[in-house]
Amino acid sequence: MSIFGKRLGPRRTVAMAAVSAAAALALAACGSSSSGGGSAAGSAPGNGLGGSGVLAQSVYDNAPVASAADIPAGSTMAMIKQKGVLTIGAALDAPLLSQQDPTNGKIEGFDADMAKLLAKYITGKTNVKTVTIGTQTREAMLSSKQVDAVFNTYTITPERAQQVAFAGPYMSSGLAVAVKAGDNSIHSVKDLAGKTVIVGANTPAVTELPTAAPGSKQVAFGTDPEAVQALTQGRGVAYVQDLTLLASDAKANPAIKVVGQPFTTEPYGIGLNHDDAQFKAFVNDWLKKIEADGTWAKVWQATLGSVVQGTTPTPPAIGSAQGS
Amino acid sequence: MNALTGHLSELGHGVVTTVELTVVTTIAALLIGIIVAILRITPVPMLRGIGLVYVEVLQNLPLLALLVLFVFALPQIGITFPLFTSAAIVIACYEGAYMAEAIRAGINTVAVGQAEAARAIGLTFSQSLRHVILPQALRAVIQPIGNICIALLMNTSLAAAVGVVELTQAANNVNLVEAQPIEVFTGAGIAYMLMALIIGFTTGRLERKLAIVR
Repeated sequence: MSIFGKRLGPRRTVAMAAVSAAAALALAACGSSSSGGGSAAGSAPGNGLGGSGVLAQSVYDNAPVASAADIPAGSTMAMIKQKGVLTIGAALDAPLLSQQDPTNGKIEGFDADMAKLLAKYITGKTNVKTVTIGTQTREAMLSSKQVDAVFNTYTITPERAQQVAFAGPYMSSGLAVAVKAGDNSIHSVKDLAGKTVIVGANTPAVTELPTAAPGSKQVAFGTDPEAVQALTQGRGVAYVQDLTLLASDAKANPAIKVVGQPFTTEPYGIGLNHDDAQFKAFVNDWLKKIEADGTWAKVWQATLGSVVQGTTPTPPAIGSAQGS
Repeated sequence: MNALTGHLSELGHGVVTTVELTVVTTIAALLIGIIVAILRITPVPMLRGIGLVYVEVLQNLPLLALLVLFVFALPQIGITFPLFTSAAIVIACYEGAYMAEAIRAGINTVAVGQAEAARAIGLTFSQSLRHVILPQALRAVIQPIGNICIALLMNTSLAAAVGVVELTQAANNVNLVEAQPIEVFTGAGIAYMLMALIIGFTTGRLERKLAIVR
């Protein structure tokens, strides 16, 4: 026994040391990724971005519900009504647009609320099943009917319109420029020509920047918190992203600021199955109703309105974007 | 097919970056692997411990976590590498741990008698490693090393997450314009497959030429 113990002793020490070193490193990894990666996303609700960011229950209660005549038998709407739940494709990490609250699992934001209102319009209840999608999979998910609709700041483009049908546009935003708070050399996107610029991977900035700032070099990061971190660490002189996202980042993180005005107009549409003209007309009718009765404005004020300066905008005209 | 043919230069740049990253990291990972494998068999307990800790730590952490940690945490203490260099260092260190284990397995296939004989004729530890053990050990594990190279090639796609525009990121960028995910990612997949086949074919040739038939 004593011999066994002696022989085992040193080996065990080495193994223990290895395990504890690995554990320490793993913890360090968790620690710094949450302090770095989570800084924008994590502290956004904590900083109380203009109220709760949650739409009041009364807005859902007063939201319109389609009459039986609007839902013909055999249509997509009728099938959704029968299931009692609207299946949508959306992100879970877009602050103020579609972000999951880790404490209760609820998905909050402009896109998420719009989806709930559409579900209410069809089924009478705000039941939404959210499938997490990437920008790479939106078209495929819609054409294979794995989701009924995509609410994902989905910019309407003629190329995409060949694959999917777009209802809307239901919101319009644009790309803007954020820089470090102490930087006074950059005033607009024109000052970015020839500089290194941080963009979000798979965002419209990737394709717009070469025209707006010729000769600029792009560095793309997968998530918004990573891009903000990269900006504060000086991996690029500026971060080009949708204004709504930048505004919420700048509010949560005083180390960065938004400069100039948006330099593009991004019309966002609700992605639908390409061959379902009936459903598209139905969704467009619903958009017109909620825009007319003020529900749209209430959703905007509760979410994006908490960080974007100025008055509530008028929603873009349905069908105004090329491809919608 | 227009989605692919219209963007050959973007995708081509992506392929070049992927190949560069794969070649650089394979060479570095092989060197790291040999060094760590030697550490793990030295007679000095402390060096053995260092080798063990290196392998266990790097093998048991996800590569993506390591990449994000390296790219975003190091600048906090004032060390900033360019993104390509960062990705290359992390992937080389990570795959080096796997290489080390494969090479150590190869060393274990060399009979103990060979090491004893090498020491008996007066070779030092490093001489016996260089002239007797490693040449035989490496020949025994050409196939596993080839497999690690293929895994490494696939893992380079994670560099996209930290801003390196390699093939996967280039495909993402093309898809953003064209909205043809099936064509674009099938094309990228075929490119990865061809590169993996080249590695597999080379490994097979090398093995037939170099393997020791016992």
